[in-house]
Amino acid sequence: MLRPEKKAKRFTAYDAGWWAAVGVATVSGLFSLSVATLLIVNYLQIQAINPLDNPEMLELRRQLAQAPEADERLVQEIRAMDLLARKAFFTSQRHLNMGAYLLLGGVVVMVIAWRIAARCSPKVPQPAELPPPEASYWLTRARARELLSFSGALWVLAALAAAYFTRLDYPVPEDRPAGEPPETTVVAERAYPDWETMQQNWPSFRGPGGYGVGIHTNTPVDWDLASGRNIRWTAEIPLPGTNSPVLWGNRLYVSGADAASREIYCFDTESGEMLWRRAAPPLAGTPAEAPKVLKETGYAAPTMAVQEDRAFAIFANGDLVCVDADGDVKWGRNLGVPDNHYGHSSSLLAFRNLLFVQYDQRSNGKLSALDIESGREVWTVPRATISWASPAYVQTAFGPQLVLVSSKDVRAYDPMIGRELWQVECLSGEVATGPAYANGMFYVASEYSDATAIRINRDGDTLVPEIVWQWYEALPDVASPLAVGNHLYIATSRGEIVCLDAETSEVAWFEEYDEGFYSSPIFMGDKIYAIDKQGSGYVFRPGDSYELLGEPKLGQETVATPAFTDGRIYIRTKEQLVCVENPHDSGN
Amino acid sequence: MIYRLALVTLALAAVLGDQAGAEYRFPMPEFESGYERPQMEAPPPKLTSPVVDVALLAGLMALTAFAVLKLRSRNWVLTLMVVSLFYFGFYRKGCVCPVGATQNVFNILIGDGAPVPLLISIFFLLPLIFALYFGRVFCAAVCPLGAIQEACAVQPVQIPRTAENVLGMFAYAYLGLAMLGLYTGTGFLICRYDPFVGFFRLGGSFNMLMAGGVLLVIGIFIARPYCRFLCPYGVLLRWASIFSRRHASVTPAECIQCRLCETSCPYNAINLPTPAVQSEPRRAGARRLGWMLAAMPLVIAAAGLAGVLAHPLLSRLHPVILLAERIAAEQRGDFGDLTIESEAFHASQQSPAELYAQADAVRRRFRAASAAFGVFLGLAFWGRMVRLSVIRKSPDYEIDRGACLSCGRCFAYCPVEKPNDVAA
Repeated sequence: MLRPEKKAKRFTAYDAGWWAAVGVATVSGLFSLSVATLLIVNYLQIQAINPLDNPEMLELRRQLAQAPEADERLVQEIRAMDLLARKAFFTSQRHLNMGAYLLLGGVVVMVIAWRIAARCSPKVPQPAELPPPEASYWLTRARARELLSFSGALWVLAALAAAYFTRLDYPVPEDRPAGEPPETTVVAERAYPDWETMQQNWPSFRGPGGYGVGIHTNTPVDWDLASGRNIRWTAEIPLPGTNSPVLWGNRLYVSGADAASREIYCFDTESGEMLWRRAAPPLAGTPAEAPKVLKETGYAAPTMAVQEDRAFAIFANGDLVCVDADGDVKWGRNLGVPDNHYGHSSSLLAFRNLLFVQYDQRSNGKLSALDIESGREVWTVPRATISWASPAYVQTAFGPQLVLVSSKDVRAYDPMIGRELWQVECLSGEVATGPAYANGMFYVASEYSDATAIRINRDGDTLVPEIVWQWYEALPDVASPLAVGNHLYIATSRGEIVCLDAETSEVAWFEEYDEGFYSSPIFMGDKIYAIDKQGSGYVFRPGDSYELLGEPKLGQETVATPAFTDGRIYIRTKEQLVCVENPHDSGN
Repeated sequence: MIYRLALVTLALAAVLGDQAGAEYRFPMPEFESGYERPQMEAPPPKLTSPVVDVALLAGLMALTAFAVLKLRSRNWVLTLMVVSLFYFGFYRKGCVCPVGATQNVFNILIGDGAPVPLLISIFFLLPLIFALYFGRVFCAAVCPLGAIQEACAVQPVQIPRTAENVLGMFAYAYLGLAMLGLYTGTGFLICRYDPFVGFFRLGGSFNMLMAGGVLLVIGIFIARPYCRFLCPYGVLLRWASIFSRRHASVTPAECIQCRLCETSCPYNAINLPTPAVQSEPRRAGARRLGWMLAAMPLVIAAAGLAGVLAHPLLSRLHPVILLAERIAAEQRGDFGDLTIESEAFHASQQSPAELYAQADAVRRRFRAASAAFGVFLGLAFWGRMVRLSVIRKSPDYEIDRGACLSCGRCFAYCPVEKPNDVAA
């Protein structure tokens, strides 16, 4: 504010007015500033505190909920606390409101006083002190043009910077023409196999649903590859792979790959004859060079999935291929080279019209459900943590759940829409073992973390997981745990087989062998199969005690999990494919 | 003076009379003991007749035009401004206002086509019609957003004209963004980011209150920053005012070139007389203009391309894009808690894939709209460059009809007319 010019020494009314106005403006300005500061502080406090999230209140409510009978003292305490919270809230609101009025009043007084001060000290124009218009007129226009050009260029640069630095961080749906509405469900053009049909076959890694449980009771318990005892046939697989066989009807599928080529093989389950072999075609996005993988993982670690006349294979370079029963490629897509330091190994799982692809990576991981007919994405959800495990599809009391394990947690999704249903953080390290399920409980176990039993409860519309127990004494590295009845079975890479009480984690029995287990144990009707890395099998009855039914021998390195059907077992060793059959079933 | 006081008092009474019936929101206690909740009694809605609003808008603009063109009185302009501030600002709480009505009207053309109530249409058109006849009299005293800034502009200074030209482009950008918001279904951005409505309602989002506060504090010295550098409706009023039939002038008679008014306008809305001698040969200026005209397609193409490139950033204005990113982040485990939006989404039947597909459709729409936005801005820049390159000879100090807010500050500085009451 300009002070009155001191031309007149006499203290005039204007001087008095100026001083008074400046005083009032200063005081009201300081007052307004203080009120504004208090309002901001009050606002921030209110933001930080939610009266309904008061921990004491929540604890009291929890106690009340858990109390077997209504506790009147607790009720009164909660009411009193609730009343206090409400009083505090409304008092705070009143303070804010009052503060707003005070601030408004203060600012109005300040502005009026400031205006009076300005009026008491009018700014007198001094044309003589201004530069001649001729001097600045053209220069001003020229400078304005320059500055305008410069700022225009700056805006374009800002747009370029925005383009460079902005990435919309959600999974972009692929191949969807503009304006086409999103698909929620795919209209079934054919009847999909029901659960009973799937159980008659072996459609995915660890069987139907992918949690290691089959229905047949007549599978052999004794065989010897060296002598040929109970061996129906053997077949060579041209390219290496650690994936397990899957089969539908009389067709068995495996895949094989090296750094240069990727192939799918179909065998006749009766004769072991290779019906066809199909090289995976190059797809849009297929990398020119295969990614680096761990030798033990290889380029064809994920087990294929099959449903009737469609078989699906995924390879280490992200190529996903669907073939029909004759080996004709129906569709294929490259999912992007997996950012995976050991190599991608999660197996595929097909159910109804959907093919589930667990694509856990170090970054940009995802779980996708693809239409099995077209390969089109039905839904995709991002996955934050890498893993090498395979999904399981479980029909629970709360509906079907797609359960995935990562190196950090277990998450269940609605298989139809991909909505996350529940999740538990209970894992660590590098997890390759899938989940087990029995009697409403999920089980996960992996080395360098714990074996964990998870019970799912319902709270309104929400599924709430509850950790029932955790156990850490003998944990698997590659072989997935198996839950059967009241027991959980764990086969470790050190050669241990442990049976735990599924409800309490109490050890029922413990057996130790020379070789470790990479192949996952499988329950078939009334017995459990476990095959160690050297191809020695252990067939035992599930239960409180260890009852060995057979010790079959392959004599070849075996890491894949067998496929089981009515009376037969198909095992992939490092060297060949072996079909085992009960003697009384081999008459044909 | 008496009349002016009476007007202000009436407006103040209207505001204070409206403070009853405020409603607080707090979650209802949870009762499980058979307690019957009393029936909530909401106060009856208090409606102001649209006729009153329109009559006041028209009346106040007519009075302002009279005060500016006939009375040449800034004090009357200030008085009417205070009345508008209390009525359209604090009493009507900043709504309805022509600035926001712009969106309703354009929404018919490029948005979802929702019908516009007559009141809104009138509010949009009336100030423009007045601008075509009398200049920006709406900005002078009737716009509550302008009024609150004008009230705070107690020590205004002139900023360099070069800066004025550049900063003025932000208003075009804001107008373009508002249109982009309509086309893409993002919403009414002008209303969403109204910095002053929080003051009128004595409450609002913290960020917008802070933004409004900062603008008002800046406005103490750089008068009306929102009106000059941001107001999207101001762009339209500027265009209309350029063609105004009658407009306020610095001097009511012949300019004597005393230069007293040269620094009087804090909005740089007084054009200096064109010097007789040019700084460069006429041929050079003509060549520059020719280049500028020839460069128009290039400027438009570059601006359009820049718009397309920037569309991912712009698309983050849309709530669906934000929600998709939030849901994706939640599913990655980046957040431990839910927002209100993501909680509502999880409770819905929509799947993430559907949301992502929806977001992608929105993004595609943004790509097209951003190109148009870029072209619009390119044209605005190009037009202003051309304007700065075209010489219109003017021997006197004249009002810049587009930029002048008809505030009447300059009247008191002109010695040609009979001295009027001086205002700050």
